[in-house]
Amino acid sequence: MQPFTYARAESEEAAIRAVSAGGRGTRFLAGGTTLYDLMKLGAETPERLVDISALPGLSGFETAGPRELVFGAGARMSDVAADPRLVRDYPVLSEALWKAASQQLRNMASLGGNLLQRTRCAYFRNGEPFACNKRVPGSGCAAREGIDRGHAVLGGSEACIATYPGDWAVALLALDAAVDVAGPNGARTIPLEALHREPGATPEVETTLARDEMILRVRVPATPLGRASTYHKIRDRESYAFALASAAVALRMEGEVVREARIALGGLATRPWRAREAERELAGRRLTPEAARAAGDAALRGARPGHHNAFRIELGARTVADALLIARQRA
Amino acid sequence: MSDTSFPDAPRADAQDKVRGALRYAADDARPGMAHAALAVAAVARGTVWRIDAAAARAVPGVRLVLTHEDLGGVKPPGFIMGGGYGFQSIQPLTSPQVAYRGQPIALVVADSPEAAAEGARLVRADLAAEPHQVTLDTPEADIVAQADSPLPKPMFADVTVGDAAAALADAAIRIEAEFRHPAQHQSPIEMLSTVAEWRDGHLTVQEGTQNAEAIRHGLARQLEIEPARITVLSPSAGGGFGQKNSLQAHTVLAAEAARRLERPVKLVVSRAQVFHGGSFRPASRHRIRLGADAEGRMTALVHETDSQTSRHDLFPTQYTELSSRLYGIGNFRGRERLVRNDVQTPGYMRAPYEHPAAFAVESCVDELAYRLGRDPVALRLANDAAADPVTGRPYSSRHLAECLRRGAARFGWERRSMAPGSMRAADGALVGWGVAIGAYKAATAPAVARLRLLDDGTVTLGVGGHEMGQGMRTAIAAVLQRRLGVDPGRITVEIGSTGATPQHLTAGSWGTATVVPATDEACDALLRALDALPASRTPAERLRAAGRAFLEVEVSRRAPGQPEAVIGRLATGLPAAAGPAYPEFVSFSHVAHFVEVRVEPTTCRIRVPRIVSVADCGRVVSPRTAASQLRGGVVWGIGAALREVSEVDPRHGGFLNADLAEYVLPVHADIGTIEVEFVDEPDPRLNRPGVKGLGEVAMVGVAPAIANAVHHATGKRLRSLPIRVEDLL
Repeated sequence: MQPFTYARAESEEAAIRAVSAGGRGTRFLAGGTTLYDLMKLGAETPERLVDISALPGLSGFETAGPRELVFGAGARMSDVAADPRLVRDYPVLSEALWKAASQQLRNMASLGGNLLQRTRCAYFRNGEPFACNKRVPGSGCAAREGIDRGHAVLGGSEACIATYPGDWAVALLALDAAVDVAGPNGARTIPLEALHREPGATPEVETTLARDEMILRVRVPATPLGRASTYHKIRDRESYAFALASAAVALRMEGEVVREARIALGGLATRPWRAREAERELAGRRLTPEAARAAGDAALRGARPGHHNAFRIELGARTVADALLIARQRA
Repeated sequence: MSDTSFPDAPRADAQDKVRGALRYAADDARPGMAHAALAVAAVARGTVWRIDAAAARAVPGVRLVLTHEDLGGVKPPGFIMGGGYGFQSIQPLTSPQVAYRGQPIALVVADSPEAAAEGARLVRADLAAEPHQVTLDTPEADIVAQADSPLPKPMFADVTVGDAAAALADAAIRIEAEFRHPAQHQSPIEMLSTVAEWRDGHLTVQEGTQNAEAIRHGLARQLEIEPARITVLSPSAGGGFGQKNSLQAHTVLAAEAARRLERPVKLVVSRAQVFHGGSFRPASRHRIRLGADAEGRMTALVHETDSQTSRHDLFPTQYTELSSRLYGIGNFRGRERLVRNDVQTPGYMRAPYEHPAAFAVESCVDELAYRLGRDPVALRLANDAAADPVTGRPYSSRHLAECLRRGAARFGWERRSMAPGSMRAADGALVGWGVAIGAYKAATAPAVARLRLLDDGTVTLGVGGHEMGQGMRTAIAAVLQRRLGVDPGRITVEIGSTGATPQHLTAGSWGTATVVPATDEACDALLRALDALPASRTPAERLRAAGRAFLEVEVSRRAPGQPEAVIGRLATGLPAAAGPAYPEFVSFSHVAHFVEVRVEPTTCRIRVPRIVSVADCGRVVSPRTAASQLRGGVVWGIGAALREVSEVDPRHGGFLNADLAEYVLPVHADIGTIEVEFVDEPDPRLNRPGVKGLGEVAMVGVAPAIANAVHHATGKRLRSLPIRVEDLL
């Protein structure tokens, strides 16, 4: 891999200063499970890394507060997944973490870094001879006419159909989470829904974060919907695989009737995908298997198949339907 | 020695494996070691017309860059199926030609692995691309009929028995179907890796391999030096599965770099590069026509195959060795063809022919059972063979029916209802129960065994064989313990390294049936020699009483019917195994697999909660490692049936999902209960201890048993592997 310099930051402020001053080739390094991997492949070629993984202020998390759950960006996926309150009151969050990656990776990976995990598109990762607008802007997209079985059916563009691979962000999106970030010009809060971008004509720009902005924490409003929730993930094997389709679902029920539904899709879109139309259509209806299926169809409305991935539109609709029925049982 | 079953005993190297103490080639660290990395071609076929290594050479720590401009003197290794030693005939870096994407075009050697990798990344090559074909379906692809090819006959002639066309025409029931199997990769945990060092003109190579002698003699041919000047050390390989059964393309590069730098050089081929740097299971297509009479007696079988090969080699196939002999079918016609693609030469991945062939044939047999309304186990029992249908010779042993009966009883097969979709789990999942059988030739290779007893009671046995995790050391120790009464802690088994005894290729499931009889005969010789010494309580005491420091014997053993000349092939590192057809009989191992699948009704995920597998591999010498090998084979079958596919983008060639995140192997969570059992009847006609092979038969039939279970659950016949969610939605 390309040589790089490595420095461990002493504080959040110092980290931001270092990344800001270092210019384009300077990057934050947290768990390293994505960045090192892509550096070894040559898909990422940073010149300077600023390690924030040991900053004590980032590693905590608090799930007992009355108004919100707070997750430090440096908290480890495995620690948070096992939190008993999360398991009991917010299964959608706990399951999204458990069903991601492998135990070894979860022990390394940070919650903030996980939000920024980059796509698994083979044409992006593997360099020459593949054209990739995300890796080399303007070079084209090899996936569009290629092996697109795992590529997005929602949110794609002429320039890019790479799937957003994460699970955690999808679950957070369903619960209206927000991220606190800090940069050289101060701190701000971004709704999670506004963190990730669709590729459009500039797929190399994946988030609304500035290069020198750092995620400090994730905040999730406390909600009784958390209990009646699930993260349902369908993949090519039972563990250690990215989603063919996944659904983060949370419900507020009144008897058989849905008062409020939250539905977000993973593995199907170029970004974490909120299915608001499906949520609206489901509100006020009895949650029968037929209604669940109709919500699934609504969630996938507008999906566009490629050459090998049309099945994931149907699979996505069924995944949403199953997730709704699982969540209902927890209401 | 075969009168009784062998006792359960721990794996000889288990403690070392768990502690990480077992040393593999790439574990080697020594002063002055240089590290090498490969730069590979990004086009599917073409010519290098300019290569620029200036940036690579400028990386601090880089000591050497080798390209085709430097290695013109290195000779090709020859193809292992064409009288040579290499997994393919061409040697990368010896010409500007690029035969496939991922072919090495430069070697960068540096003081650290990081500097070598960075140097390799910076090698710039200008290539003139040429048209390429990388799939079975490419219309322009050159298709070679094996029967009309230069491949040696009768080994690679089409198999014909009786008159299949006429019998098919007369058949009351005909089943016709086409099956597809994708390319797949072995992905052993130990990647292709070599440490090469020269001292005083002698080359020592450390490499995990199934064929140390092919590395030695192949390198001698490539470097034009005497084989006596080369030693290959491979005491343990971290999985081979056929990928390591010959001289790899990277080995000579490490040796050349070490010679030029006068330093030891370590070359570990990266995981992505292993997908292109070694052989793989070729994609294949199988057309089956099966005929039966109204009573369900199978009367005719036609099996036509197309299988990937490279443009530079004909990797031969023997898919019909299984299909012509699995049942007692009197009329058979096989036709095997090879499709030339721009890929590295494919090779022998575990049960290379038998697994895809069994998928095709056993799926059709299940379909026949449904056409007849006949229980699939009963139909198979009714079609068992009394003698080998191809040669008419008897089987040395055949316990297939016993495997089926025992497996059915243990599985609870009688509780199965025949109709597809008729069984449901409490959670609503569709339940399917499927069965299929498998066979694998019981081959034997020649071997020399040297046995030495010391006066302290320790025993050293050297024989030709390789430990790649299957348990060969444990099996040899079991024989020595039984024959000589020596404790396992006092046994040293020297296998896998050249120098002592010739190290024949360990593959084709002939390992145990090769080394165990040779070890057994060496024990005979040693006991005879001891008889000449004064009587005493233990062998060691006899030695001491006679004033002897040690006693050593050497025996040489060939497979039944093999001429003495075969020892010459053994001595020069060429494959020399025999079987399944021996002069007096035909020998196969058999297995029956019973599978339960559950299919989710909505998202259609297929789970395999339970498999029962019963195998006949003759006498089981090492029950614990044998059970482990059988379970491992079943796991391979699950992977092959439901998970694994090496994806190809026809525009670019090579393999797309070349890493262990995207090449979907089964994980622990995919594997349910696997119950295994052995018939454990010795086959003394094949060899006195009565052992037959197990490593490959273990996976043969798992895939069709799963596919048949999926049909039982859903009513769908799925004829293309792997079977995935999209096939059932």
